[in-house]
Amino acid sequence: MSFFRLRRFAPALIVAAAALTLAACGDQYPNSTFTHFTDNNRIIGALWDRLVFFGTIVFVFVEALLIFTIIKFRKRPGGAPARQIHGNAALEITWTVIPALILVMIAVPTVRAIYKTQAKAPDGSLKVEVIGHQWWWEFRYPELGVVTANELYLPAGRTVNFQLNTRDVLHSFWTPQLGGKRDLITNRTNWLWYTPDSSLAGQVFNGFCVEYCGSSHANMRFRVYTVTADQFASWAKHQAADAAGSPAAAATASVPVAAASVAAKPAAPVVAAANVTAAPAAVEDPGYVFPADKMPAHTVPATPLPSGDRAIAFDESVLAQGSATAGRELITNMANLGKAPCLTCHVVKGEMAMVNNDNARGPNLTHFGSRHTLGGGLFKSDAPTLARWIKNAPHMKPGSIMPTLGAGEFNPVTKQKMASGLDDRQIADIVAYLMSLK
Amino acid sequence: MATTAAIPATGAAHDASSESGLWSWIATVDHKRIGTLYLFTALFFFLFGGLEAFLIRLQLAQPNQHLVSAEFYNQLFTMHGTTMVFLAVMPLSAAFFNYLIPLQIGARDVAFPRLNAFSYWVYLLGGIFITVPIFFQVAPNGGWFGYAPLTTIQFSGGMNIDFWVMGLQILGISSLAAAFNFITTIINMRAPGMTLMRMPMFTWMSFIVQFLLVLAFPPITIALVFLLFDRFFGTQFYAIAAGADPLLWQHLFWVFGHPEVYILILPAFGLVSEILPTFSKKPLFGYHVMVYSGIMIGFLGFGVWAHHMFAVGLGATADAIFAMATMLIAIPTGVKIFNWIATIWGGEVTFTTPMKFAIGLVALFTIGGISGVMHSSAPADTQQTDTYFVVAHFHYVLFGGSIMGIFGGIYHYFPKMFGRYMSEKLGTWHFWLNFVGMNLTFFPMHFSGLLGMPRRIYTYDAGQGWEKFNLASTIGTALLVIATLVFVINFLKSRKGGAPAPNDAWGAGTLEWSIPSPPPDYNFAEIPVVTSRYPLWDLKHPEMTADLAHSGPDAMTITDAHATPVHEETGHKTAAELGIPMPFPTVKPLFTALGIVIMFGGLLFMHLDKFALAMTITLGGATLLVGSLYAWLTSPLE
Repeated sequence: MSFFRLRRFAPALIVAAAALTLAACGDQYPNSTFTHFTDNNRIIGALWDRLVFFGTIVFVFVEALLIFTIIKFRKRPGGAPARQIHGNAALEITWTVIPALILVMIAVPTVRAIYKTQAKAPDGSLKVEVIGHQWWWEFRYPELGVVTANELYLPAGRTVNFQLNTRDVLHSFWTPQLGGKRDLITNRTNWLWYTPDSSLAGQVFNGFCVEYCGSSHANMRFRVYTVTADQFASWAKHQAADAAGSPAAAATASVPVAAASVAAKPAAPVVAAANVTAAPAAVEDPGYVFPADKMPAHTVPATPLPSGDRAIAFDESVLAQGSATAGRELITNMANLGKAPCLTCHVVKGEMAMVNNDNARGPNLTHFGSRHTLGGGLFKSDAPTLARWIKNAPHMKPGSIMPTLGAGEFNPVTKQKMASGLDDRQIADIVAYLMSLK
Repeated sequence: MATTAAIPATGAAHDASSESGLWSWIATVDHKRIGTLYLFTALFFFLFGGLEAFLIRLQLAQPNQHLVSAEFYNQLFTMHGTTMVFLAVMPLSAAFFNYLIPLQIGARDVAFPRLNAFSYWVYLLGGIFITVPIFFQVAPNGGWFGYAPLTTIQFSGGMNIDFWVMGLQILGISSLAAAFNFITTIINMRAPGMTLMRMPMFTWMSFIVQFLLVLAFPPITIALVFLLFDRFFGTQFYAIAAGADPLLWQHLFWVFGHPEVYILILPAFGLVSEILPTFSKKPLFGYHVMVYSGIMIGFLGFGVWAHHMFAVGLGATADAIFAMATMLIAIPTGVKIFNWIATIWGGEVTFTTPMKFAIGLVALFTIGGISGVMHSSAPADTQQTDTYFVVAHFHYVLFGGSIMGIFGGIYHYFPKMFGRYMSEKLGTWHFWLNFVGMNLTFFPMHFSGLLGMPRRIYTYDAGQGWEKFNLASTIGTALLVIATLVFVINFLKSRKGGAPAPNDAWGAGTLEWSIPSPPPDYNFAEIPVVTSRYPLWDLKHPEMTADLAHSGPDAMTITDAHATPVHEETGHKTAAELGIPMPFPTVKPLFTALGIVIMFGGLLFMHLDKFALAMTITLGGATLLVGSLYAWLTSPLE
């Protein structure tokens, strides 16, 4: 009997679950796959609606039939004895054929959608090379000469064609609100394209790595900014330029250190491809950057800094005294490279090059100061966070190959305390320099 | 039911097999004892894998938590999957294969009793081999799917992956040996009159599973051998620097991995197909269709592996073909669901604990089946794969399906194995806690996945819209922990203190219920002659099987404690008194298994650059293996 008392609770439970679900609907779901901002997502959305429609019918029918059956045919005093039926060919054919028909109704649009979404990208689409690294994203715009990391700018209304590659293990590229995912396979090239709606300018989307890729798989995130065509052109033009304060930048347009640089390099095709109609930018034009204060809360990393006994001690008062010039000297002067070996893994365009874009193991830092996130989208990019990151990156992001640089810090990889390294003043200088690379 | 009449038979039935003590278990070649060993070992690993899951859920209860480190979390989810698939669900099924198949087909043991013992020992030692590293935080950390190139030496230099590669290789030996054994048993050792189409449905589904094992394990064995050679001997099957294609691993793995899903679910389908007729007092509806749909599922299961790879970029045509092939599987699966409901239809349903779990399987597996069809639509799957939506899907299939069916099977067959019923009261608590906890854990994962939450992440940021769903999942897991504790208490208490069960504990119709509970070590004093699908109903309720085809001698030669006093007399006798030859106990299979594990284990020292030590241990293991095998093969069975 207790079974039936419990059974009576079941509808109540279902109602409660439904109510909870509805209540939850009032919340914001910033990564929902149900919002359709691209052609790709609308195709998938139409399929999904059909799947849910038939799925719901089958679910309700089967569960209702099951519940009805067990209640109607439960053993009761004076109830009918069991009828000894062994089978019924007509019935069995029926419940073979009906599901088959439902599946046909799913299969046809599925196959259509497969060919539609995997067709060749339309001509004139913007090409973006997405390169996966453990555990950060490199984004290149080969037609524009731009190399950046973890933050992707897309012009709204223009088809973007992603060329997906990885330098190490497998990753998968996914921005739920803009389209389905596609894996990055070593020694192979994959493609994915979609067109963000023209109405999308001024929005930010979260992106994720969705193929397990080792220790910090969870920390391999990125942001997508959808901007207007003009904003994009302005951004791209500046991003293609040499780093502020670099000899190359100074040679082309004698700008002072720490000021914004220009893109007056011999880059005529770049300008053409970017459809830049405006006259060559003014020397001080810092280029468009998505305004940090316009970023919705869910796109601003909220990862807390290591705290308590895991905290990385840093004297924040020295940050104000950081000198960009001294920081640049620390990073680029050959004599200091043992101490601040940044350029053995990172590229700062226009500065002395130890590596090039193809064998760089860390993100391109040329315009680091124009980015809003740090460490594969894990942290908000501000001076105190960056200082601690330089001091002990692998402590802030498990497995990170960025070495522990702060003197006296415990290196979680070698499991040793750093006997020598950078002191807080030197780190403040490097922070000032990197932040000046707008 | 004449309960009291059978009680004396219960306690005294197994003079020969009542030999207790550690040695009698270590040296046993009795399929029932081996089945019991499988059951206890697999339940232990089930608890262990559950504990890993609980830690995972605690970590994810809130955003940005650091209860466990990223590295340990990755070990936890890898080992949770590996443990549940290879050390819990498959061996729980194996416990039933061992215990039930000979009883259901009217045989005295399996075809190769010593090979059977060998399978168990390989499983136990392999299980220990792959599990122990987690206590030292060097457990495998490449996911249960172990995708190359992450698992190659370039990206995983430690010993973590070595334990996984060799552990799975060892466990594969166990599965393959057992599969050949059961195939031989089922083909050759059926009682007279037990035609293939009279076999109980559990034996049928098990029969299909053995073929799946035999065909699915070679691909993963090859994949693992490649990886093992890459890691230890410098080959370059997966070395990306040498231009290797990572899809080689994925194809080999999923050609194994998808049939593996049916290896996990079909035995539970078989158990449910025994339970539903028993408690509906009706024969299984559409026996033939149930058999053919099982075969269809097994067959199609080999042609759908690439639906695990819809985001990989195989090309539109491949995606389309695999999408449609995957949809096809829904048809035989749906037929099974409807046939089960039709089995209940028109019956006299009693809601015993096994019946509740069986109905639970039908209800919950349906949900997993529907979300499965959603995955089969390749473009839609590009929004679902590698998110929590997939986690929700396969837990409805494997927890709602396999585990519910196996729990039902344990409650159902406990009286046969131990001569006592499990408590219905605790069983009811277990079922409802499990049912509610399971749905509270896994249903919200559909939402967290569709709202963008990736799988296999040790932490997530706040404000992504996932908090509530994750908290609900964690609370659900806590309920599952309580449910499992209720089950463990029930299991342990009922073994000694449960209500005594007669031979035919539930009024079922198949052969295993005609002999004492627990059965004597020779099972059947005289081999029964079978004339229909439900020999025991033929005997006790001829009206229930009147419409079924019968053939063979008119007289039922099957003996039953209730019906004929003959069996009670023989039930008290030992095999020797009855003149039944029984295989000798032996530890040679155990030493053979030990040799294999030592042989693999020695290789680990190569990573510590102790080549000589590694070779010494490996050769020592090989010597033990060959020596024990020689002694085994040259000593008589009985």
